[in-house]
Amino acid sequence: MKKKKFDFRAALRRSSVPLMFIIICAICIPLSGLSANMLANEIVTRMGRNAFLILSLLIPIMAGMGLNFGMTLGAMAGQIGLILASDWQIVGVPGMVLAMILSIPISVLLGLFCGKILNMAKGREMITSYIMSFFINGVYQLVVLYMMGSVIPIKHTSIKLPRGYGIRNTVSLLNMRQKLDNLIPFSVKLPFFGEIRIPLMTFIIIALMCLVIVWFRRTKLGQDMRAVGQDMEVARDAGINVERTRIVAIVISTVLAGFGMIIYLQNMGNIATYSSHSQIGMFCIAALLVGGASVDKASIGNVFLGVILFHLMFIVAPRAGAAITGDSMIGEYFRVFVSYAVITVALVMYETNKRRAKSAEGKKLAEAQKGEG
Amino acid sequence: MNEKTVKKEKSWFGRLVENFGLPRLIITLFLVLLLILAPIVGADLPTQITNIIARFSWNGVLVLAMVPMVHSGCGLNFGLPLGIISGLLGATLSIEFGFTGALSFVMAILIATPFALVFGSGYGWLLNKIKGGEMMIATYVGFSSVSLMCMMWLILPYKSPNMVWGMAGKGLRTTISLEGYYDKVLANFLKIKIGNFEIPTGTILFFALLALAMWAFLHTKTGTAMTAVGSNPTFARAAGINVDRIRLLSVVMSTWLAAVGILVYEQGFGFVQLYMAPFYMALPAVSAILIGGASVNKASIVNVVVGTILFQGIVTMTPTVMNNMIHMDMSEIIRIIASNGMILYALTRKTEGSK
Amino acid sequence: MKVRKIVFRILALAILIGIAAVMFVIGRGHTIYFDNKTLEAEDGTVYKPYYKIDVLVNGEKVAKLGEEDRGMVSTMGQKFSMELHITPKKDSKKVGSAVKLEIPYNMDGIILNLPALLNGAAEDVYMDEFIPAVVEETGDEEEVPAGDEFEMPMGDA
Repeated sequence: MKKKKFDFRAALRRSSVPLMFIIICAICIPLSGLSANMLANEIVTRMGRNAFLILSLLIPIMAGMGLNFGMTLGAMAGQIGLILASDWQIVGVPGMVLAMILSIPISVLLGLFCGKILNMAKGREMITSYIMSFFINGVYQLVVLYMMGSVIPIKHTSIKLPRGYGIRNTVSLLNMRQKLDNLIPFSVKLPFFGEIRIPLMTFIIIALMCLVIVWFRRTKLGQDMRAVGQDMEVARDAGINVERTRIVAIVISTVLAGFGMIIYLQNMGNIATYSSHSQIGMFCIAALLVGGASVDKASIGNVFLGVILFHLMFIVAPRAGAAITGDSMIGEYFRVFVSYAVITVALVMYETNKRRAKSAEGKKLAEAQKGEG
Repeated sequence: MNEKTVKKEKSWFGRLVENFGLPRLIITLFLVLLLILAPIVGADLPTQITNIIARFSWNGVLVLAMVPMVHSGCGLNFGLPLGIISGLLGATLSIEFGFTGALSFVMAILIATPFALVFGSGYGWLLNKIKGGEMMIATYVGFSSVSLMCMMWLILPYKSPNMVWGMAGKGLRTTISLEGYYDKVLANFLKIKIGNFEIPTGTILFFALLALAMWAFLHTKTGTAMTAVGSNPTFARAAGINVDRIRLLSVVMSTWLAAVGILVYEQGFGFVQLYMAPFYMALPAVSAILIGGASVNKASIVNVVVGTILFQGIVTMTPTVMNNMIHMDMSEIIRIIASNGMILYALTRKTEGSK
Repeated sequence: MKVRKIVFRILALAILIGIAAVMFVIGRGHTIYFDNKTLEAEDGTVYKPYYKIDVLVNGEKVAKLGEEDRGMVSTMGQKFSMELHITPKKDSKKVGSAVKLEIPYNMDGIILNLPALLNGAAEDVYMDEFIPAVVEETGDEEEVPAGDEFEMPMGDA
């Protein structure tokens, strides 16, 4: 292999999104007037809260299926698990474990369905998984709003709507709140940042998950997935069951998203039954992209850089906006705008790169043919 | 080949399903069922039909906006909110400049037009750079523009006391009443009223006019070129058609129609909805045209009319019928499942010509 | 090969169900209310409240009860142990006492009458199920918004 020349422009293009965010944060942090201690604490909390969810996005990217907007499906499964566990009054970490186990069959079922549909819509997986999340949201509402309490027994009136069936807008997870984060109380004192509380157990789980992903890449299945992601036809010729591999990728992602949602919600301390999941997909995808990932390439490093940069922006933007314009709403809208804009830019860059690669390939082919002729 | 022999053996029902699409059939049957049930459960049928017609007239143009982009192979226009924003700019500026009555409607369209042209051109230029990934990017272009405008509605120096927050004296309200402006200007034109039954003739005429224009356009030279670009871009290019230019034109048209569409919607509804409201607008229009029989790369005016009636029929009928029947309002959920299911179905169909 | 796969799957399933079952046992949460109140048992015995009781669970003070007071703590699992520091009269010395209890699985909230408990009353005398007062709510107060659309993602992420 020839040594590649370091292409400065390509590198700059690749890291343009994180760079842009570093600049935004650098401007907004002083304007927000938040202390280093508070920012550090917030970032550490949000890292524990979100990292697992974002990790669930990596595997479908590996399999060439793009950003899995269908991770919302897993989030819904996780919420159903939590609602049931809290109705049965299983609390603390055991309650979380139970909710995770309950979420597995639901996630697997939804993942299978989603994977099957995505196999029928090759080439437009992202928009399909995106619409899928809306579609399943309808089913989720049917289950949670009408079947829980009437078909699925729900005992506690603190969870059930007064009309006798359906789940309330918010379900309190007070007896599960931050039980995992605080399982091993731990905090560090840093010279500049002061005392930072660290949700050690959550971090350990996230670290384990990272190891699992690294290991998974080397297994037969992981290799297959990468092959499918590179080129479906080549993979098929090599004897890989492409359809099955893609479905497995989505199932794994959905199950992990369910676990991630449970970790996320134990930190929040309550479930917004009808909205928690709908926003989570967008935030996680935006964060991953901010970390420098693209639609076809994402690493664990992207996850952590993304959480830090994206959430830093998220914390400081409203206050910075208020400081500049005197209206806190502007900052709120600004951060929403930035989240969407980042996804848009990343999608556009992915598509233009794909086209560029394609035309370069075509040129090469044409030249080769010329040489032969 | 195998498929063909199977086709022959299918019954008339199988053929119907094949031609019409199973989900579409289910939705049609469901609406028929609702119409039969309505009088039985005690809902007033004329009122129901009036509602359906009214909602059809509000939404028709928005659904029509889907047609050009589908024709040129840009797929379903999930970026409809961009056009809607042009329309909203037209609406708010028209009020700000002090136009009232029917004139404010005309001015709103006139003012919205340059915005739609500029936004549409930019949007079309972008979509030409990313052929093959239009729908996903269109979705996010829509979202980004809506959230950008959320800031703008607050910042832009609007002054009209009918639109800004009373207390602060600046920043537009989330909903603005159109009373005294163009509330129902089209609907009340030549309105037919028999008892409980009403037809907003003006709005329907306006829609018919645009639909006719669209139909005529598709039969001009440029229009056929657009269809050619959509069905086979390689062939079109070989025939000397400037593919990118035609695609750009289709996107601009779609954006402009969306701008006009939202204005028509507002005159029927009676309010301008700002901020996050445009978010809500693309999916119903997309699923309506799909229910009407369009696919990702094929759509006709008939699809628009049929689809809008079916979709709006279900949206208006389900709540009343359900409520009267089982005292449970599951209409929202039915709407979500039906409309998104329809989009999913369309996305999973194999489409010839595209990619 | 096939058989091994099936066995492996069944095993994995069994382990998951096993873990779930264990979670049911060790994770059952209860809310325990301590009463330092007068209690008249059915046999006519009257248990008088103490002047002051401090309740410690896991070395942490969770309640400080005067006469006719009620305190509460959330616990997990069926075994419950607490330490009570009792001051019987106003000027008397504190007396320590450790209490261990088995909590019935099916009760969410349990009321313990401490005077009865400390004076050796039977379980059904000092223990009572806490039934939350039913608050009359009108059906339509909590309207649940349903929508497939993006709500404004203004919340905290």
